[in-house]
Amino acid sequence: MIASLRAELLRLRRWPVTWVLCGTWLVLNLAFGYLFNYLSYRSRDGSGFAENITDAATARVLLRHLMPDQAPITLVAGLPMFGGALLLILGAITVGSGYGWGTWKTIFTTRPRRHTALGGTMAALGIVLAGLIAVTFVLDLIASFTVAAAESQPTTWPSLADSAQGFGAALLISAMWMAAGVLLGTLTRGPALAVGLGLVWSLVVENLLRGVAGLLGPVANVTDVLPGTAAGSLAGAVGALTQSDPNGTPGVTAVIGGTAATILLGAYLVLFLAGSLTLTARRDVTT
Amino acid sequence: METAIEVRDLVVVRGKREVLHGISALIPRGSVTGLLGPSGSGKTTLMRAIVGVQIVKSGTVTVLGDPAGTARLRRRVGYLTQAPSVYADLTVRENARYFASLYGLGAVEADRAVVDVGLGDAARQLVGTLSEGQRSRASLACALVSNPDVLILDEPTVGQDPVLRDELWARFNALAAQGSTLLVSSHVMDEAGRCGQLLLIREGRLIAEDTPDGIRAAAGVQDLDEAFLRLIRAQDRTATTADGGR
Repeated sequence: MIASLRAELLRLRRWPVTWVLCGTWLVLNLAFGYLFNYLSYRSRDGSGFAENITDAATARVLLRHLMPDQAPITLVAGLPMFGGALLLILGAITVGSGYGWGTWKTIFTTRPRRHTALGGTMAALGIVLAGLIAVTFVLDLIASFTVAAAESQPTTWPSLADSAQGFGAALLISAMWMAAGVLLGTLTRGPALAVGLGLVWSLVVENLLRGVAGLLGPVANVTDVLPGTAAGSLAGAVGALTQSDPNGTPGVTAVIGGTAATILLGAYLVLFLAGSLTLTARRDVTT
Repeated sequence: METAIEVRDLVVVRGKREVLHGISALIPRGSVTGLLGPSGSGKTTLMRAIVGVQIVKSGTVTVLGDPAGTARLRRRVGYLTQAPSVYADLTVRENARYFASLYGLGAVEADRAVVDVGLGDAARQLVGTLSEGQRSRASLACALVSNPDVLILDEPTVGQDPVLRDELWARFNALAAQGSTLLVSSHVMDEAGRCGQLLLIREGRLIAEDTPDGIRAAAGVQDLDEAFLRLIRAQDRTATTADGGR
């Protein structure tokens, strides 16, 4: 397992895809979490940037969410939708490309054992994920302290409990999406179809189903337990503004409570990882 | 000579078609054995059975004393598939180091394998930018990196220029001299003479198992290509006679 982990960490470290996807997430997080909101706040006096910010109360709310003590919430807010989609792509490509280039075939026929090989990949992805969330949090803190300093606002650090909660929620949401990508990469034995299916599901199908659920009550029973709903609900429970709020983030909801969302996300994470391992172990190796 | 691989009455069915019809063969330890035959003759299927990833209908395959595919053999058997199996978006060296890491080895072994297949100058090049022949050698480097006891190489010299092919065969023979057992498939008959032993396979049947000199003597010609043809015709005549006698 250690050898597999080291090998996969080497691959992920040297792999341009990893840096492109992680870099994209970091840029999007800063852009949507801080830059655009701050530009809106600064241009509230009629520059045309932010026509909806017409009153002082809305402006205060906007600025409030850019402060350092809100960084754990900003960290989580973007993950249910676009952050999750990017991490799903990373999971799908990491596993799917091994099938696409035939490297899994060689590994599975020689060594290490299939569980060990895929387990090493999952562990390496987990380490990359934890590092990415940590870097995101640090960048969010730097951005928020910068805004606070620029606006002469008090620079209150987020509490340790809030930071831990935000970090944990971000890790759980992103791990669930990444595991979904791993499962899709395993199922389709290639990167392209896995990425396509994953994006269609996370960005389109779940939203469409939620729309249908508004018309057909029974469908809501299903949509309430979908991965995206659970991710959005956990982000909402941590404090992110829901998508129904004018300043809210797409994908953030308040459909189910924080505890239920955490349990659901944990269940999906285990299901996706166990499914990938089982499929990998049981399927034939084709050449 | 001690036997490394023993195949007994191997029958393999793929889909609804029987592709290996009761093949038996012995491959000695520390040798380079050529598995030769036309495309579709069953070479890859036989190799898959030896590696242990092919479901067999009947018969046995034993590698280094253990049934093919058993966990204990995974550390001792290296397999180069016909299509290169390397990451196109990593460099040659990164690919070799990736596989070396998987086997618990370091950069030294990886870099040595890259040099051994003649890709030292292209070590820092992305595999995706290599020619087909170079990509195949990058894949070979990854198979060689762990220095396994048994190496199953499926058409490793396809697409290589004559000089490189010569170097690769020299490398294979050097590995055999150090004690490794190599089974190398090819559909190019002029490579047969470089092997210590030959298995000639056609339509899922083994038509000859001997040294190159033994096959030349049996066919009565020096040219191995011609010898292969004569053996095929002799086999066809035998089959026709047997059918006529029924």
